[in-house]
Amino acid sequence: MSDRIEGVKKLFTSKSARVETNKGESYYLDLFEKCQTRLSELRASQPANRLDFSGLLNDNGIDRRDFMKWVSATTAMLMLPPMFSPLVAEAAELMNRAPVIWLELQDCAGNSEALLRSDGPKIDEIVLDIISLEYHETLQAASGFQAEKQLDEAIETFKGKFLLFVEGSIPMGMNGQYGTIGASGETFHDHLMRVSKDAAAVIAVGACATFGGIPAAAPNPTGAVGVMDVVKGKPLVNIPACPANPVNMVGVVMHYVLTGQLPELDSLLRPKFAFGYRIHDNCERRAHFDAGEYVEEWGDEGAKNNFCLYKMGCKGPMTFNNCSIVRYNEAVNWPIGVGRGCIGCSEPDFWDKYAYERPMANAKIKAPTGGVEKTVDEFGLGLLTAAGIGIGIHAIASAVGGKKDDGGEA
Amino acid sequence: MNSEYKQVKRMTTTGRIIHWANAISMVVAIITGLYIGHPYYQTFIADGAVDKYVMAWNRWGHFIVAIIFDVTSVVIAYLFFFSRFEKAYKKVIPTGKNIAQFIEVIINLATLNRRKKFDSTHSDSFNSVYFLIFHLLLAWMLLTGLQLYVSGLESGLSSIGKWWPWMLHISTDWTRGVCGGTIMDVRIVHHYTMWYIITWVVFHIYYQVWRTIFWKEADIAIVFGGSKFVKEK
Ligand code: HEM
Ligand code: SF4
Repeated sequence: MSDRIEGVKKLFTSKSARVETNKGESYYLDLFEKCQTRLSELRASQPANRLDFSGLLNDNGIDRRDFMKWVSATTAMLMLPPMFSPLVAEAAELMNRAPVIWLELQDCAGNSEALLRSDGPKIDEIVLDIISLEYHETLQAASGFQAEKQLDEAIETFKGKFLLFVEGSIPMGMNGQYGTIGASGETFHDHLMRVSKDAAAVIAVGACATFGGIPAAAPNPTGAVGVMDVVKGKPLVNIPACPANPVNMVGVVMHYVLTGQLPELDSLLRPKFAFGYRIHDNCERRAHFDAGEYVEEWGDEGAKNNFCLYKMGCKGPMTFNNCSIVRYNEAVNWPIGVGRGCIGCSEPDFWDKYAYERPMANAKIKAPTGGVEKTVDEFGLGLLTAAGIGIGIHAIASAVGGKKDDGGEA
Repeated sequence: MNSEYKQVKRMTTTGRIIHWANAISMVVAIITGLYIGHPYYQTFIADGAVDKYVMAWNRWGHFIVAIIFDVTSVVIAYLFFFSRFEKAYKKVIPTGKNIAQFIEVIINLATLNRRKKFDSTHSDSFNSVYFLIFHLLLAWMLLTGLQLYVSGLESGLSSIGKWWPWMLHISTDWTRGVCGGTIMDVRIVHHYTMWYIITWVVFHIYYQVWRTIFWKEADIAIVFGGSKFVKEK
């Protein structure tokens, strides 16, 4: 009976946002051994570049102590018990054994920027620096035929082994002609399909690559879609948000380097360690939400006192992401922390459905009847008015010409 | 009193209690729901956050009536099929007889009671269908509401055990797909459905009053005393 219950439970909850943070001692002991074997194999293998991790840390003024703090935080983020810390530290040093190809499709390069443009790179960025980036369309020096040759070589050398990072959506309109790349004018779609064929796993980063993002916002002129809509039959991880948090990219790569597997995913293929949390439930302004204290207008008394941003359109209650916990730029700050609401950038269709910067109840959206966009309440009041007019007409007609049963023979 | 009238029992005490519990809950759900959607009154700035808890109380009220709806819905669904008093489902099955009656009731309404060719002693099939629509709307409100609610239980834990969020995921996750894919769509639909229900209520009240005035059978008394009065034939 109990295993049947377990079976049913698994069937129905495997894809929900639920996070199992404690899987039991035997599970972790087993995993620990597997990770150890994997790391020693990796160490024996040829590093893909000669970047020296501890040297890089030193150059950027990060001492051992900072590094160990980062290690514990990362271990906790991946929901592993503390005994995994030494393995995580080791995996960070072995990151240069993980070949990565990075494709740049229809987007603003914001995710690459998020990695690169931090003044004084933090440990997350350094870790991403030393992964063996075999090919990155925005960063590489090569161009034209030379670049294509480099890509072919990378695919050939690391066939079935490289992680494919994809940034940007795929325009499907006009046979994909909205986006082409390279000297031969290959469409983004064909480009992605060709490279993903030989990848060990595909990691879509940012709102565009995951769910189509801003290019896919109504009316979606280019017919943009996310990677998961076109790449089938490959292990796929979505790391949405605009931009994706480098912490979560590190988390996924780290998990892969450490265990050889992708982390546990939710129904939208987002890693649960990062997207199993609702912003609203870990938000520092939550007490003000419950108290009914809201910022009513930018810069008002409430804003000066860090009141809740719900009435300014914060979508934290409907958004799953860990930025209320890990924040951005090595926990310096995050959108709600700087005093503006969450726009739900890690959720599908966020530009149309979340980012209108007012509560949903006040937003002009498409009504079920079509026509001019209106708020839900405008639609409702319209409906009610129509019903009221109908009833009024019927009532007057009844009063004038209705037949009352008893005695009221007309 | 005119002796040609006979009293017909139409609603049990349980039925009437459920009716009024629902009516009051509905008013509370609308008032608190609209506050949750857009907090429309402000709290006193001078008070400390712990003292007022205005949103929290509104959400609490909303969820309490949700529980009342939950429980009464289960009872009503049961009575719909198994009531010893009046098995309502028999009136909503589209048999020839029911369809004919359904049309006659509409004609009666449209002709301002000039034509009345059906027996109004017992619940007619038009009203039965109309009430069924209400219960479906309410069930939809429950399902979408519980889906919104379970998104706050993302840890998979709850004060009454893990089974609760687990059950809610099983029974309501599909509403996300039906509403348009995101949790925000569920919220939009939850809010729209409120307006459908309000419109439903407005016509419902009008129609019961209208029946009372024009049929002269004291239909409105059903929901208070449990009976109406029809002429002996
Ligand atoms: C039939 C009566 C009901 C009405 C009229 C109603 C109305 C509303 C409205 C207008 C909102 C605000 C939506 C928005 O604009 O953002 C809301 C929110 C909500 N409702 Fe209902 N609702 C009803 C029943 C329920 C039920 C049965 C549940 C079940 C638990 C429920 C749970 C919720 C939840 C969880 C929210 C979101 C609250 C939050 O995130 O803080 N509602 N409701
Ligand atoms: S600021 Fe946003 S996430 Fe934070 S408590 Fe308010 S509504 Fe929730």
